[in-house]
Amino acid sequence: MTEQGDEAPLVELRDFRYTYLEGTPRAVEAARGVSFEIRRGERVGIVGPTQSGKSTVVYALAHLLRLKEGQVFHEGEDVTAPGYDRAALRREVGVVFQRPDFQILEDVVGKDVAFGPTAAGIPAKETRERVEESLEAVGLSYPEFRLRYVYALSGGQKRRVALAGVLAMRAPLLVLDEPMAGLDPRGRREMFDLFDRLGEQRELTMVMCSSSLADASLLCERLIVLQEGRVAMDGSVREVLAEADRLETLGIALPDPVALARELRKVFPDLPADTLTEEELEKALLARLGGSRA
Amino acid sequence: MLELQRSVIFGQFVDTGSPVHRLDVRVKLVATALLIVASFLVDGFLGFALLLPLLVVLQIVSRIPFGYVVRGSGIFLFFLAVILVFQVFFYPGEADNVLWRWGFLSVSVEGLRFAAILGLRVLLLYHATTMLMLTTSLVDLTNGLEILFGPLQRLRIPVNELVLVGVISVKFVPIFISEVERLSRAYTARGVPFDEGGPLTRARRLGRLLVPVFVGGFRRADLLTTAMDVRCYRGGRGRTKLRRPQATRTDWLVLLLVAAWVLAAWQLPALLGT
Repeated sequence: MTEQGDEAPLVELRDFRYTYLEGTPRAVEAARGVSFEIRRGERVGIVGPTQSGKSTVVYALAHLLRLKEGQVFHEGEDVTAPGYDRAALRREVGVVFQRPDFQILEDVVGKDVAFGPTAAGIPAKETRERVEESLEAVGLSYPEFRLRYVYALSGGQKRRVALAGVLAMRAPLLVLDEPMAGLDPRGRREMFDLFDRLGEQRELTMVMCSSSLADASLLCERLIVLQEGRVAMDGSVREVLAEADRLETLGIALPDPVALARELRKVFPDLPADTLTEEELEKALLARLGGSRA
Repeated sequence: MLELQRSVIFGQFVDTGSPVHRLDVRVKLVATALLIVASFLVDGFLGFALLLPLLVVLQIVSRIPFGYVVRGSGIFLFFLAVILVFQVFFYPGEADNVLWRWGFLSVSVEGLRFAAILGLRVLLLYHATTMLMLTTSLVDLTNGLEILFGPLQRLRIPVNELVLVGVISVKFVPIFISEVERLSRAYTARGVPFDEGGPLTRARRLGRLLVPVFVGGFRRADLLTTAMDVRCYRGGRGRTKLRRPQATRTDWLVLLLVAAWVLAAWQLPALLGT
């Protein structure tokens, strides 16, 4: 079993279909046959416009929907199989919801971060250690924030508390639903650095859902593009970004450096097509200009 | 996972674009009022049987599946059943007509009849109002009620405000329900599963959501008042409407038909009996 488990992807969706309020006049078809695998240690960005089914996929990964048989697999096991330990699955999959208010369940910071471990029956001493560790990991000082009221926190701080609550469960798979939405550029940068650091330190597998291709391409190495509940593209960040025209027809805005490079190629057709960051673009441009001068 | 929106359809609006949806809202309101009155006046099985075809027609024409309404009324029907069982057991029937007795509990013919009629009354009331809400949007409902109760403004009754408060409170129900679903998902993700355990465990877990749902409700109400303020809503008289309801001949015919039907269901059984 362990041998098989090592081979099996961490999570897999096989022709995953989901309709909210199925069989009622208010039914909404959110996923229409989504298939992909995520292997341990991968960082995958799920990108798509609104209503493309991103959040539904997030909920499916943690079994937060009425799933049908044979569509969602965790370590090779069908999560809907009779006797499957859903509680264990949810301890393995840490979901950070779109809005922190959606998942902060207690009124005091320390109590909220301790919520998960307490519900899982972890002894008080260890819970306390986890709370301290998780708060410090997200950049909130434990002595300072432990007894703070959640209502008095800023948006960015709430987001960190929500993340700390998930980290306290020590889940190997971190699922982030629009983690940068509503943050200013500096807040985005800080959050991005935080996720990057956490991913490396804790060897996390990360899935990040975002409507912003720029955000997802910064943090992830692989991108899955969803369109109307189907997978439109799936590949490495460079592979996906290379198909700028297709992304545009899907209604997804290109990251600034990529869009700029695309415009610049009209003037310098030999400029490389896969520059992801401003630095890369600058380097390529200097090389090109330097080359022409020489 | 919890999909409460399936089990509580109270306050929902389902736009199927049917002729019932397109009816003049005032006609719908008056017709509903007639059916509500009928639920009190009709006092026999024959009367209710006469009303049944009207409700069937309404259901079919509205294109809202009956199964959806029944499934969405599960909780209501459960409570109704409990109340009716109590009615049957505690009804003081005539001694000759008692079918079964155990201590202070008894089942009598009168008790059964009384509970059945009461049940039919409540079902008629519920069906009529539910269909009104399922087929009428918030804006139409408010406009219609404001027009119908408009004359009361002369008595210095703040009709607009009262109607708005009433309609909003009804339409808040589906919002609360989606809030409960969202919260239950968050709790489940964080280790308190809402999709496991017996009915009692699940019900007890739902209790946990009461405080956050109420806090969320206040926050939402606050937002709504701000949104109305910035759009200069002052309620009261003199507000003009972009869309004014205009009754066509069909609307009047429908109203006439409902009125005649209700009258028949009320008077026919008595006429036939004599």
